[in-house]
Amino acid sequence: MKPNVSDVLLELSGLVARNAAPDIPPADRAGALGLTSALLAMASRTWDDAAHQLVIENRALRKLLHVESDESDFRISALMAENARLRARLIDCHIEAEASDPGLEAAIWAELVASTERRLSPGSPV
Amino acid sequence: MSLEARIADYIATKMPEASDIAVDRLARISGGASRETYRFSLSWRERGAAKSRALILRRDPPASLIDTERRIEFEAYRAFYRSAVPVPEMLWLEESSAPLDYPFFIAAEIEGFQAAPALLWTEPYVPSHGKLAERKWTILGEIAKADPVALGLTTVMSEVAPDACWSRELGYWEQVLDEDQTEPLPIIRAAIRWLRANPPPPPKSIAVVHGDYRTGNFLFDTAGEIHGVLDWEMAHLGDPLEDLGWSLNPVWSFGRNLAGGLVSNALAVSVWERSSGLKADPGALHWWTLFNCVKGQAIWVSSAKAWIDGGNREPIMVYPPWALQNAQDRAALKVMGRL
Repeated sequence: MKPNVSDVLLELSGLVARNAAPDIPPADRAGALGLTSALLAMASRTWDDAAHQLVIENRALRKLLHVESDESDFRISALMAENARLRARLIDCHIEAEASDPGLEAAIWAELVASTERRLSPGSPV
Repeated sequence: MSLEARIADYIATKMPEASDIAVDRLARISGGASRETYRFSLSWRERGAAKSRALILRRDPPASLIDTERRIEFEAYRAFYRSAVPVPEMLWLEESSAPLDYPFFIAAEIEGFQAAPALLWTEPYVPSHGKLAERKWTILGEIAKADPVALGLTTVMSEVAPDACWSRELGYWEQVLDEDQTEPLPIIRAAIRWLRANPPPPPKSIAVVHGDYRTGNFLFDTAGEIHGVLDWEMAHLGDPLEDLGWSLNPVWSFGRNLAGGLVSNALAVSVWERSSGLKADPGALHWWTLFNCVKGQAIWVSSAKAWIDGGNREPIMVYPPWALQNAQDRAALKVMGRL
């Protein structure tokens, strides 16, 4: 998810602190804290399996793209950077497959569908 | 000086016949990711009589979810005022940053109605869905058949040739993606390739395109009547199917697998055709619906970028990308028949 969850949580901590001040207009406070609550709930839902899903997806992408790379850094920021690198390569591979390899193209579409299942959150409109 | 006092000072310059001008109950309305929106009560004395009015202030934020021209939004509202398309009355447009730090406009508030989609799935709104859908796509048909020249909008909106509608819009939103994406978007990039390879036929005539006509951007009541169409900040001239396609974007189904969360796509399209007098060519409508998945993703990505760059750290800038980016990808897959 972009912006990064960790960056948003840091920003929200400051927002909550600012809204603890007594001179904040009630309507402004309600608006800020209502959205903060929604964002915290979304962050909490992704927290537990974020690294797991990225590892699964990165492995699937490496297999599809026939690439190998070091898998030793399991911080979410490192996994996301690797995911972005692989998905950029996937776009190039997809373009080539559309022109010449229907089998690979179908496999790429299957992976893209799976990628949205991995990112699916409760209450998603689609 | 408080914002209330600064607003009152500004309005005093616009109402020379008024005295004792005061602004009260100023409150920020949640949402408004492209403009800061406030409601307030204006009171004044005129020829000895005390008067008051509920007004809305729409002010540019430091960085926006979408970059738009406030004059175009203002003139679009004004063009449709007192027409078959219900809109609030526009009062003053200020393009200078001097009075309130950023450009803004002030409009009359349409009071007593709701805009939040979540309310629609609760009582007493549920029985009104059929009527609301009828009104929603009838009004969209009215926008589609309105003559932009007669409305005076060709003087403020960029003109476009019928056969250039699709390429102008797709080019614009693809450029937004190029500039603002912070991670690769393989599904949306595939959609763009398909759109470029399969352009739609040109419209028979150029129409006013609202640009964000969806459940959530109009004021409704419990009987299914619509009292105000809002958020014209992306209004432009173009293919009338663009608006219809946006209204059918699956992200606006609210998880109900219905157009706008209200009725089937087929029924929505039939109401629009009856109202507009136009025919929605299925292939062209499919193109514009998929295009709107690209446009939607560009907006969510821009919102994330504005937050990441620090231009706007409001929580409202985070909510759209977090809540809708994956849903928009799935919407594109669905429209492409791959989900």
